[in-house]
Amino acid sequence: MILAFALAAAFLFGSGAYLLLKRDLIRMVAGIMLISQCAVVTIIAASLGRGRAAIAVAPGDPVSDPLPQALALTALVIGLATVALLLALVHRAVVVFRTAEQDRLAATEAAHEAALERERRADREEVGPAPEEAGPAEEEPADGGRAR
Amino acid sequence: MLLSIALLVPWVSGALLVALDGRRRAVAWLAVVALAANLAVLGVLAAEVSTGGVAQVVTGGWPVGVGIVLRADALGVAFAALSVLVLLAAAAHEAIGGVRSRTFPGLVVLLSAGLTGLFVTADVFSFYVFFELAMTASYALSAYGGKRRQLRAALVFTAVNLLGSFIFLLSVAGAYRVTGALAMDQVAQRLLTVNPNAAVLIAAGFFTAFSVKLGLFPFHFWLPTVYAGARPAVAAILSGAVANIGSYGLLRFGVALFPEQLRLAGVALVVLGAASIVYGGVMAVARGDAAEMLAYSAIGQVGYVLVALGVGGPVGLTAAVLYSAVNSLNKALLFLASGVRGALVAAAFALGALSVAGVPPAAGFVGKLELFRTGVVAGSAALVVLLVVGSALSLVYLFQVYQRRFWRADPQAVGAASPLAQRLLTAALALLVLALGVWPEPLLAFSGHAVEALLAGNSP
Amino acid sequence: MRPGGRDGAPDAVVRVVARLLPGPSLMVAAGLIAKGYAEVGDGFAAGVIVALAIAPSYVALGAEGVEAALPVLRHAPAVAVGGLLLALASGFFPLLLGEPPVSHRPAPGEHVVKIGALELFTPLLLDIGVFLLVVGVLTVLLHQFGRPRREGGR
Repeated sequence: MILAFALAAAFLFGSGAYLLLKRDLIRMVAGIMLISQCAVVTIIAASLGRGRAAIAVAPGDPVSDPLPQALALTALVIGLATVALLLALVHRAVVVFRTAEQDRLAATEAAHEAALERERRADREEVGPAPEEAGPAEEEPADGGRAR
Repeated sequence: MLLSIALLVPWVSGALLVALDGRRRAVAWLAVVALAANLAVLGVLAAEVSTGGVAQVVTGGWPVGVGIVLRADALGVAFAALSVLVLLAAAAHEAIGGVRSRTFPGLVVLLSAGLTGLFVTADVFSFYVFFELAMTASYALSAYGGKRRQLRAALVFTAVNLLGSFIFLLSVAGAYRVTGALAMDQVAQRLLTVNPNAAVLIAAGFFTAFSVKLGLFPFHFWLPTVYAGARPAVAAILSGAVANIGSYGLLRFGVALFPEQLRLAGVALVVLGAASIVYGGVMAVARGDAAEMLAYSAIGQVGYVLVALGVGGPVGLTAAVLYSAVNSLNKALLFLASGVRGALVAAAFALGALSVAGVPPAAGFVGKLELFRTGVVAGSAALVVLLVVGSALSLVYLFQVYQRRFWRADPQAVGAASPLAQRLLTAALALLVLALGVWPEPLLAFSGHAVEALLAGNSP
Repeated sequence: MRPGGRDGAPDAVVRVVARLLPGPSLMVAAGLIAKGYAEVGDGFAAGVIVALAIAPSYVALGAEGVEAALPVLRHAPAVAVGGLLLALASGFFPLLLGEPPVSHRPAPGEHVVKIGALELFTPLLLDIGVFLLVVGVLTVLLHQFGRPRREGGR
């Protein structure tokens, strides 16, 4: 592993962790994305050393291990799918809760505690008609589950 | 061949079902049929490997090390069959009650594809791929219901577990970096000769990733919100099937890949497990809501698995396998029963509660017995005392739930009874738990084979 | 997230670019898939490029507008599932021939029909399947984000 890659991965992870601690949900998603990129950089870096070409190899030159590039590609695909799903969830949360702040999200929920209690009871009954007051019950959940 | 079919069936049917409107009764039942077919294939596979054999396929017909190795041994097949059984019960539960979202049946079947693949792969990276397939399906499932509570549960679950997945991926990258291999056998061999510091770091990464999935004590923070917020069927899926990834991962990676590091960390694992047991038990006693109590109980129960793993050796590992199997059935039963009302359910719930506490006729007794044996073999009185205290705590909190839910005086608070079929399903699951307790030999023998298969890689 | 800004029609430049992008992007995608076995490129990259080219249309016209102009986008879920099934078929068809999964035909070393740089063998189906899957899934997501919100909580 080359120092530059190690530093890049560390920087990505650090920035990701910093954003993750923010209250804003969108920043949290951005933080998770950065950490996923950190993982991809680490995979790529696992095969790169000085003097071995990774791309555009001239015949006869030493070649770096190509397998991590395939792994990184797979990881990117999976990262895309999962982050898209997370983004869809956040989008729905913003629509339903009307806020992207985590603590306001919790506060909104606390404010509806009484309504939730009734809903909770109906939830457990399964057969009883669910109360319609509580948001988009009939809406399908985030479709990103199809990813992958 | 059979192994490939076990993957093909849920994958293709899941892809088809996700395109159909899951709220239609027929689609929900098709999903149940697909899961039953998957379970049947896994059952045949289990019969094949139960005597210590393995079913192995290398993709593309390449030599091992080039192609991806899929290998089903007793451990993997046991976990796969168990998880698919839980998924089957949860899908049938929802199909009877009426599915409320388009994608639910398809996602459950895709989840079973991911789980089946994960338990039968012998390649570190394809483990990650199947792991993410399963997790992506369960992220989408955790929002099932679509109300505020479920949405919040889904957000917390997705964010925390995505982080866990990336820690897993980083560890895979690290393992490849130091060993240059991805097939588990090769990784295990080459890890013996690498720098011990690097190996410990990678092992810690894997441990963290699986502990997050499992909800062990220091990594449990997401679990109560999620299990209590999700609908009962989803909570049963998450705690009975998806959490198996964690216990299987700890067993497979810990014993087969990092035996040396596992031995070094033995005491730490026992301490963490004990903390989980005590924390989960005490918090569960303090909670009022049944779902929340079951969630904390789940934290406590996985502690037993970790304790058994920490003690190690054939006895400890058998106890760990057995207890994870019994625990996933218990949790599925309790969460499903907590969503049903009416006659039969009280008895089913009581049976599940007794099983968690480890009282004789139920399967939990067998699990607890193995754990006691582990404690005795380890020669530790403290461990035996811990097990007794943990069991007593679980009896207390489950009795509380039982009392609140089924001894309620005013019938209004109890509500209308659930459909008979749903109650019968719960009762059938309870009977299975009872049967495994009364006639535990097959389960014991299979756990023994599983551990033999697991240790087989280490002996030469 | 309201398509086309809060007041009135979206910017003319965005609309023109949005209209022009999807066509050429398909050509680029076809190129990426075709040369993927000798040089840089694969079905996933091709799929992402096409989805990125479709995205500005959703920004400019909103979900309903785009889908009125390009009705094929309404079938995105079917495209995704079809792609996944095609990819699975290309991986698992060897089972019928009694070979392990992900074997390919023509087998390694056998004669492969070539059209220019394009080699006709079964992994090509996998790439096309992945391409369709990625385009389909991302379009479904764009549809989710670009749809005007009816419900909007309480």
